[in-house]
Amino acid sequence: MGLQPINPYKRYIMVTVKINGKEITVEDNTLILDAARDAGYEIPTFCYQADLMGIGSCRMCLVEIEGQKKLQPSCVTPVLHGISILTETPTVMSARASMLEFLLANHAMDCPVCDKGGECELQDMVYKYGPHKGRHAEPKFKFHEKDYALSPVIIKNSNRCVQCMKCVRVCREVVGRNVLGALGRGDHQEPTSFFRSFLDCDADGNCIEVCPVGCFMRLPYRYKTRPWDLKGADTICPYCATGCRMVIEHRDGEVIRARAQLGVGMNSETLCARGRFGYEIINSEARLTTPLVRRQRHGTLEPATWEEAFRIIKERMPSLGGNTVGGIAGARLATEELYLFQKLMREVFKTPNVDSGSRWDAAAVEGFIAATDMAEGGVSVFDCMEADTVFVIGSQVSEENPVTEYIIRRISAGRRMNVIIAGPRAMKLDSSANLLLRHYPAAEAALLSAVILDINAAKLAASADLTAAKDAKLDGHLKAAGLTIDDVRALATKLRNSESIAIMAGTEFLRYPHGIESLNLLKELLRSLGKKVRVMPLLDRSNQRGAWEMGVHPAFGPGYVKAPAPGLGISGMLDAAADNSMDALYIAGADPAALYPDEAHVKEALSKVRFLVVQDIFLTETARLADVVLPGASFAEKDGMLTNQEGRAQIIRKLLPPPGKAKVDLDIIRALGEMYDRSFGPKNAALVLDEIRRAQPMYADVSLAFNNKRNVDNKLDNKAALVKGTKAALTIRKFEQAASGQDAQYPFMLATGNHLFHSGRLTNYSKTLNDLMKGMTVEISEEDALASGLAAGERVLVSGAGFSVTLMLTVKKGTKRGVAFIAENFDAAPVNRFFRKGKGAPRVKITKA
Amino acid sequence: MEKILLKNLNNPDAHKIDVYIKGGGYKAFEAALKLQPDNIIQMVKDSGLRGRGGAGFSTGLKWSFIPKDPTIKKYLCCNADEGEPDTFKDRGIMDWDPHLLIEGMLISSYAFGASASYVYIRGEFAFGAKRVQAAINEAYAKRFLGKNILGTGFNHDMYIHCGFGAYICGEETALLESIEGLRAQPRKKPPFPALAGLYGKPTVINNVETLACIPAIIERGPKWFSSIGPEKSPGPKIFGVSGHVKKPGLYELPMGTTLRDLIYNHCGGMLTAKPLKAVIPGGVSAPMFTAKDLDTPLDFDSVAAKGSMLGSGAVIVMDESTCIVKMAHIINRFFSHESCGKCTPCRDGSPWVTNILSRLEHGDGRPGDVELLESLCTNIFGRTFCPLADGAVMALRGAMKNFREEFLYHEKHKRCMV
Ligand SMILES: Cc1cc2nc3c(=O)[nH]c(=O)nc-3n(C[C@H](O)[C@H](O)[C@H](O)COP(=O)(O)O)c2cc1C
Ligand code: SF4
Ligand code: SF4
Ligand code: SF4
Ligand code: SF4
Ligand code: FES
Repeated sequence: MGLQPINPYKRYIMVTVKINGKEITVEDNTLILDAARDAGYEIPTFCYQADLMGIGSCRMCLVEIEGQKKLQPSCVTPVLHGISILTETPTVMSARASMLEFLLANHAMDCPVCDKGGECELQDMVYKYGPHKGRHAEPKFKFHEKDYALSPVIIKNSNRCVQCMKCVRVCREVVGRNVLGALGRGDHQEPTSFFRSFLDCDADGNCIEVCPVGCFMRLPYRYKTRPWDLKGADTICPYCATGCRMVIEHRDGEVIRARAQLGVGMNSETLCARGRFGYEIINSEARLTTPLVRRQRHGTLEPATWEEAFRIIKERMPSLGGNTVGGIAGARLATEELYLFQKLMREVFKTPNVDSGSRWDAAAVEGFIAATDMAEGGVSVFDCMEADTVFVIGSQVSEENPVTEYIIRRISAGRRMNVIIAGPRAMKLDSSANLLLRHYPAAEAALLSAVILDINAAKLAASADLTAAKDAKLDGHLKAAGLTIDDVRALATKLRNSESIAIMAGTEFLRYPHGIESLNLLKELLRSLGKKVRVMPLLDRSNQRGAWEMGVHPAFGPGYVKAPAPGLGISGMLDAAADNSMDALYIAGADPAALYPDEAHVKEALSKVRFLVVQDIFLTETARLADVVLPGASFAEKDGMLTNQEGRAQIIRKLLPPPGKAKVDLDIIRALGEMYDRSFGPKNAALVLDEIRRAQPMYADVSLAFNNKRNVDNKLDNKAALVKGTKAALTIRKFEQAASGQDAQYPFMLATGNHLFHSGRLTNYSKTLNDLMKGMTVEISEEDALASGLAAGERVLVSGAGFSVTLMLTVKKGTKRGVAFIAENFDAAPVNRFFRKGKGAPRVKITKA
Repeated sequence: MEKILLKNLNNPDAHKIDVYIKGGGYKAFEAALKLQPDNIIQMVKDSGLRGRGGAGFSTGLKWSFIPKDPTIKKYLCCNADEGEPDTFKDRGIMDWDPHLLIEGMLISSYAFGASASYVYIRGEFAFGAKRVQAAINEAYAKRFLGKNILGTGFNHDMYIHCGFGAYICGEETALLESIEGLRAQPRKKPPFPALAGLYGKPTVINNVETLACIPAIIERGPKWFSSIGPEKSPGPKIFGVSGHVKKPGLYELPMGTTLRDLIYNHCGGMLTAKPLKAVIPGGVSAPMFTAKDLDTPLDFDSVAAKGSMLGSGAVIVMDESTCIVKMAHIINRFFSHESCGKCTPCRDGSPWVTNILSRLEHGDGRPGDVELLESLCTNIFGRTFCPLADGAVMALRGAMKNFREEFLYHEKHKRCMV
């Protein structure tokens, strides 16, 4: 069963075995295959994959065990003390050759037109292990004449299948989608999906990645190249803070593939749809390739030279800006860039007003960092998965952080543990959970307070007065959360009965910050009960954690060191701007106009900023309002570092130069600084990293070396890359719960977040990702759909106070009644229009369009 | 010999519970309920009963592997898939004496603590399935099944599960997958079903005939049972004889009856004057015998000692008019058609073998075919996931060993010798 989490309570018994005469000592129950590989002997495999359950079906890995008549499959046979294993005898070698001969018997063998040619495991193995002469001279069985598309991203040729079932198994065991299965029997067995079409596929293409041959293939990549004509760069997926490692590859300047590698990164071979198919943004026609300036006050944005753009900036942005100048940097920029950005704002523009991201309130961020222990250093997801209980709250993790979700599913299936999920909407991971709590949006606080009360009940029971007060409070919380006392008791019981607990807390806490305090309280309470508690944030922007750790925040600098005089965060800056008191704002890689919850407010505020500089790779909603637009570089065009949600620092490598006159963001930030102060720097990414290491103790000795290497024996958890802890004085402010109230006219509470196929507005520039959706959608529960006489697929009108939009209805079983979800990714249905600053979750009604 | 297993074969109403009870039915079960479960397991061990599904594993021993923890749910699965061509013994019991099977299952379940059992019936056996279901219903009505059976506190439910036409469902772990609603493919062992079987719970899988032996063991004692036939492989055995004999059919005889006795006495001898050419002693995967082997006693060990196997006890008799290449082709075609597709050698190797045999048989042999067949047999045998493909290879090897010149003739002259 390959990768098993190391259980701290288990004692490991070591046994000694002989492999090809060499004596080695391994843990009892190690698979012969792993033991042999450890000892340096190669054993070929098709159906074995470290992170899937062993099936022992391809028979490539047969080995001899002295004293046993039959050859044994090493991928499913554990070692026994004292056995002697032979992996290279003539019998073993001939068995390997004969397996390949059998596999080739019905194989299409159309390598010249096969996309896999050149990186095909079957080709490689035949080359290595023979047979080099064919004996099969019978008619071949063919599944079909022409390749068929299973989805907009997957095309299939079953005539090349080696029946290892990895595709089916990854879909079931890792992705949890279960849309693949085998049809037919014997040599007619075909791994595919019913009706040869995917009804409910996540389009992540993990089946493609694990397929050793040219059977599951990428549709967008089809016939575009041979692998040896590709140039690649190791990088990190830019679309969420899971931080999946991948390789992007281009041919003649066009990126045509992103792929993950077995045993590399914490994701190993898996990615989600965004990572695997979202690379088209790099070569998008819509990329900004030249600076744009607004030469007249109400004129249009026109192309300009860098010199002109910089001249205008210098004229209109005084260096001694102080409090009327501000900077907002996107949480997708590289860590080095973010560091330099805040340095520019603080040291050159002398302003404390610096923040990252487009949506979260700075005080909420500070509290969240404290509640999730981020300053205490990185927490590996694999460590979390060793806990007795994993409690996911405030995140639609199946859609926000798909690969994190894969890890939770895969590991929790292999061991006895609790998986508890609290959230308003049903999601794929629910099937791995043994406790689900469906609460209303923005009710994390109520739920957590109720649990805290219940866990504390014993203490309170002493006094009747307290008990009464408690009951009244509890009732209030339950009502606010839409839960029953049984739900809460079940949760409390599971927490009480666990020795170790991992809480994974998502961005809903940032959207509705009044939950942060309770999150922190629960954590402390559990610790006071002697439990080992780990907290891991679940974040949606690839370098959100890096941005915070670099001090792109008004209250603290790099390393969470308190800023001498705290400045304004994004909300404060927007308020000031709306108040006509922002002279200049520099926004790099962030799009608050599209994402800040309250579109009217943010747009008004930005238009009132006297001078707005926006640096981005697309003409975003925010860039459209700018006076100067600077074209930056995508993740494929720079070297740098990103820190994922676990606190794992990982490097990205430049594959291509930025398009046209666009420049790497670090160079833009530095040049801007140099315009005011020639000595501003450091001058390149490597030097910035040195300075970060010196200035920021969390990064002083994090190892980036390991990043792109194949991790030995598939141990995916590279702890050397986790940032270290530091001393930080962070405050958790109390937030009042903004009541969203009951309103019979608007029966639904609106939730938002990222769609599975999108990340902010950035991925809208990927045609492939857009094509995966049949249109913009609003999702409600099955019961609500029934009750309102609406059917999935129908066009519906979603209206709130002051805004309405027509969308396609999707229906989800298990979602809380009274909850509607619209993703924040749709350009044509900006969900932030429904939101009002300072008001809770907005309410909407849904009617037939 | 007195019939134990087929005693009701000619009793048209024996499938009705009242008739069955009148003939002494369910007495053994009632007696068993008064015994300690462990004693029953010991009795079955002492009887020497070996599984009639093909492998001949000691039934009592198999039951004793089941964990004793009463809090763990346990299952009994009756293997009534009987999918091998020429095997038709189990349906005799299901069609005509279903209560014998149910009684056997009840005693077994009581012995190792199974609270539910499944009869996995081959899909084509629609009549048998109907009969067994009707019998189960009657048994519920008479309180032999359900809660607190006969006031003893023993609870047991019984279900039938009909297959859908795949031979591999007879393989015990594939059978479990099939009951669970999955594709029927063998499971990796270990864990063995006795520890993690149906729905992950301890499970015993026994053949119909095996289970049908149980009531008699309880009623008459293990000594009586083990005194029938050879010491290591005792008991009554149903032989299903087909082919070129005067009276094909089911014969219940003591283990150890010789092939000659079976064919020439019980079955009335060869069908015509044509002499016997070959005989398969235990189902199509058993290597074939020739006339010189006729004195082999039909029991697990004696047949194995001669390089074949007793398997399910299906005996196929072939006279001189039989083309062995054709026979080999038919047998292999069956196995490659029934390959579940899981493992490479069986999935891709068996059809290859079949294709070659088909050519040989149809006058399209090529030089080197026989040699190639032998090499493919080496490459398949012992390397597959389950024994299905081994069966195909054993059959072919047996045929080629005894009748190699016939294969070579087909290869060279592109036609049949016979
Ligand atoms: C391919 C294959 C098919 C089998 N088919 C049957 C079958 O139809 N009936 C049966 O009783 N056993 C069959 N078996 C044997 C079973 O796996 C198992 O050994 C048997 O049911 C155990 O029962 P017993 O101990 O009572 O013999 C088959 C085995 C294999 C490998
Ligand atoms: S899968 Fe491999 S061996 Fe098969 S056609 Fe493609 S490249 Fe060739
Ligand atoms: S399609 Fe690919 S992954 Fe799936 S079984 Fe066939 S060879 Fe294996
Ligand atoms: S979006 Fe997140 S989960 Fe998906 S591939 Fe990228 S980093 Fe991994
Ligand atoms: S030998 Fe392999 S392919 Fe054949 S039936 Fe058994 S598991 Fe399936
Ligand atoms: S790798 Fe071991 S059987 Fe496939």
